[in-house]
Amino acid sequence: MTSLIDVENLTLKFRTDEGLITAVDNVSFSLNKGEVMGLVGESGSGKSVTAKSLMHLNARNAVYTPESKITLHTDTGPVDVLSLKKPSEMQVVRGGAISMIFQEPMASFAPAITIGSQMVEQLMLHSDMSKAKAKEISVEMLDRVGISDPSKRFDQYAFELSGGMRQRAMIAMALSTKPKLLIADEPTTALDVTIQAQVIDLMKDLVDEFHMGIIFITHDLGVIAQTADKVCVMYLGKLIEEGPVREVIRNPKHPYTQGLLAALPRLDDLDSPLTPVPGDIPSPLERPSGCVFHTRCPQIIGDVCRRDLPTDTKVDPTHRVACHLHSAKEAQG
Amino acid sequence: MSTPLIKADNLTVGYNIGKSLLSKQVLKAVNGVSLEIEKGSFFGLVGESGSGKTTLGRALLKAAPITGGGAFYDDGEVRYDLTSLQGAQLKDYRKRAQLIFQDPYAALSPRMTVRDIIAEPLEVMGLTKTRAETDERVREIAAKCRLNLEHLRRFPHAFSGGQRQRISIARALVSGPQFVVADESVAALDVSIQADVLNLLKQIQRDMGLTFLFISHDLSVVAHTCDHVAVMYLGRLVETAPTRKLFEAPRHPYTKALFSAIPSLDPDDRGRAQKLTGEIPSPTNQPSGCKFHTRCPHAIDLCKSQEPTLEHVGDQHEVSCHRWRELIEVPA
Amino acid sequence: MTTETQGSAAEPVQDQTAKEAYFTASQGQLIWARFKKQRAAMIAAALLFVLVLSGLFAPFLSPYDPTIAGRNKDYLNGAPTIPMFCDKNGCSSRPFLHALERERSMATNFRWVTTVNEDKRIYMEFFVEGAPYKLFGVIPMNTHLFGMQDGAFIHLFGTDAAGKDIFSRTLHAIWTSLQVGTIGVLIAFVMALVIGGISGYYGGWIDSVIQMVTDAVRTVPPIPLFMAVAAFMPPEMSAEARFFYISVLLGFINWPTLARRVRTHLLTERNQEYVLAAQLCGASSSHVIRRHLLPSFTSYIIVDLVISFPYMVLSETALSFIGLGLKDPVNSLGVMLQNVTSADVLLNYQWYFIPVIFFIALVLAFVFVGDGLRDAADPYSDNNK
Repeated sequence: MTSLIDVENLTLKFRTDEGLITAVDNVSFSLNKGEVMGLVGESGSGKSVTAKSLMHLNARNAVYTPESKITLHTDTGPVDVLSLKKPSEMQVVRGGAISMIFQEPMASFAPAITIGSQMVEQLMLHSDMSKAKAKEISVEMLDRVGISDPSKRFDQYAFELSGGMRQRAMIAMALSTKPKLLIADEPTTALDVTIQAQVIDLMKDLVDEFHMGIIFITHDLGVIAQTADKVCVMYLGKLIEEGPVREVIRNPKHPYTQGLLAALPRLDDLDSPLTPVPGDIPSPLERPSGCVFHTRCPQIIGDVCRRDLPTDTKVDPTHRVACHLHSAKEAQG
Repeated sequence: MSTPLIKADNLTVGYNIGKSLLSKQVLKAVNGVSLEIEKGSFFGLVGESGSGKTTLGRALLKAAPITGGGAFYDDGEVRYDLTSLQGAQLKDYRKRAQLIFQDPYAALSPRMTVRDIIAEPLEVMGLTKTRAETDERVREIAAKCRLNLEHLRRFPHAFSGGQRQRISIARALVSGPQFVVADESVAALDVSIQADVLNLLKQIQRDMGLTFLFISHDLSVVAHTCDHVAVMYLGRLVETAPTRKLFEAPRHPYTKALFSAIPSLDPDDRGRAQKLTGEIPSPTNQPSGCKFHTRCPHAIDLCKSQEPTLEHVGDQHEVSCHRWRELIEVPA
Repeated sequence: MTTETQGSAAEPVQDQTAKEAYFTASQGQLIWARFKKQRAAMIAAALLFVLVLSGLFAPFLSPYDPTIAGRNKDYLNGAPTIPMFCDKNGCSSRPFLHALERERSMATNFRWVTTVNEDKRIYMEFFVEGAPYKLFGVIPMNTHLFGMQDGAFIHLFGTDAAGKDIFSRTLHAIWTSLQVGTIGVLIAFVMALVIGGISGYYGGWIDSVIQMVTDAVRTVPPIPLFMAVAAFMPPEMSAEARFFYISVLLGFINWPTLARRVRTHLLTERNQEYVLAAQLCGASSSHVIRRHLLPSFTSYIIVDLVISFPYMVLSETALSFIGLGLKDPVNSLGVMLQNVTSADVLLNYQWYFIPVIFFIALVLAFVFVGDGLRDAADPYSDNNK
């Protein structure tokens, strides 16, 4: 398989009134063509920020370190995303090779423009097709994502649709430009479970059909288990575990991943008590030294966790974890 | 069987939404709901957004207008008819029934310290005479909710979601209520914190002998915390049962669909379940007959014309479906 | 990922006390902390402070009475006289001016001609006794910050056609304009709070009616109204009374905008969950207003007041400028501005423009402070995230 996007040593800080706040800290991963990656983490873990940097979409007070590098492999060759400056250059990634869908679709549609004209406008911006052709494709896309009566919906405004329909329209719009990479930022969080199930099914079908790379951002491991091929777990801006979805869910290595899985209420065993990850997420202002998770870690080894950043350890060729528990084991073995 | 703490009898909450004089349209957010909440129980109320579960919770707190039926509160000391509650009795009821909000960010005034936020109910209700006494009560309840003393001097902006929710809980409990409505109280929290807050709620409920109405859209959370679950759809109660019974043998097609919609944690178990099509209809434009027939995979003509009533299925288990007997064999 | 020891990610919050201070900071303290970070607003605030002080202490800071009583009848339309330390006869540690001599003789074709006698120095003095005045309107004093030897005149900004000292007039004018603005803003504010408060808190048809009235008031064109009022003001009306009426009028013109903001804010704040939480405790309306609604918008109201202040000053200036507002002997920045409206001034007496600089500085200072306060009071206005 060929690589679609490579992220190397991505470090991103925000300049705020309270000082420089580290949002993403030395994160590296890569995604192959046609692969679905789940990006899991709690609020403040930097998962959305990481995804937005793939499109160079973060707020103006974001500072990238010089070592940060994001390479997108397009048909015309690799693009260094972070070096893009001008809006015309950005078009390659924004809405072109990469599309994004958001948690709240209402916010992504202009309220005073019909869904159809927004889709047509976007298509014509990124290719030199005629208006009639763009409309044809748009209606086709709306139909494809399961919107009934697509030619009627084409002329409607976002507020006229229900939450689930809006999310479908959003997906249709994101896919109409045939992106190489789709970033889905909590696309089902605001939806009811029954609608969430529908949207997940739709996304699974679309992966099979369009064969693009997807980064699926969510805090819900159930959604990840249902959609992803591989999983990256983030905590406080650190990528702490990465591996194939079966490996990570059945055999989690990092105490945080284990904690997340244990905290989920399980329907198959109502008697098992809920085990929370102890403690609270530290405020971004008081980022822990050493391993960022040491303040909540139930398996802390000792000073080494408080002092040193853990290195990546490969527990098997595709599964890596950043935890002193495992680096120690590797050193012994 | 002890007497129920809360009893709703054909409870209806309606809002006038018609603008024109000729067509007076009434939006029935809660439509003829009858239920009993046992004292000391953890009662779950489940449904999608728009099902009327929040309105029902508010009506039981006398914070939404009851337009039909009745609702009663009886804790052994006092007995109130919620439809006609006012004046001093209403003030007294406010002490006995409290609400924990969903959004721990909006429910705390950003301009008050944590101590003032928790103390506000005491001051408003005049439960304490002196400042020292107030402080004493605040400290006591804060300790129960695992807040440190130095937290009390801080303002809400210093806290994370989980901590804020604990402040919210402390505030709701400081007046010593008997009945607490927790409206989606963990929905806005991260998974790792959610379990913590749920455990705290359970522990407090046990220690203080409270009765909880736990409103949630998340069946798996409800399964782990509640003793008894009621499922709502479009203002109607469609199924109610002890948690275990409901999870072992759900009878209503909607309950079954809710179960199958929960994404499985098993990556090899993808797309097995039957999924519900369509979306919940608008409460202003309700379907005839069974409210669920527009989305029900098993709907027949009878469902479109006649509305089912709650039928007895087993011990404390009731379901409102014409075809539940025929559908027993259909898997969830 | 590397094994280097990680330093603190948030440098400014270094130790526990600083962190605790941040956590226990009230909204007011947070606003102030954010405000301090904005350089333009801080500079404007400092400038505003200096201007307000110089207005407040105008009688003390200015060497002469700003009215016709303090005029220098021998130096009409005189250029600014700037004290110096050195001249062709050497330097002095005390600042001085050269004496002005005014004469009419055969040599001047019997016209009055002023010449500078560069050999005669008049030294500047500090804390001199001069025209009596009342500081803050109550404390009778006659000490001025500076003056000249032997009762001679110094005109830092020159004099006008009547020989009045423009420097003294400018300082007094700042004070007058600030007073007009304050009275106007206060009247507008009280009306806005009551009307907008009723409208926002009760809502419903009361709200609709009040909003209609508000809109009606907003559509009244101010200039014709002012002209009508000016026509009604009897010419014999005292300058002070005129001053008062102008302020009141400005207040009445400006309340609708403020009232609208009060109403909007009340409407949003009233539906906040913490207000419902208080109501569920059985809190009365007065408790909700006192504990939640009022504190929630004091910061916004202060911001609104500061922002609307320059508009008051501007309106007053505009009125006085077209001759409908204040008249001598009361002098405001608008009156001063009116004086520059002639080609003569532009060509020959450019020092008349000095008050204009003060006027622009005052208005800009208010605008910048207001903007800074607004940004500080509203944490979502900055694009941090």
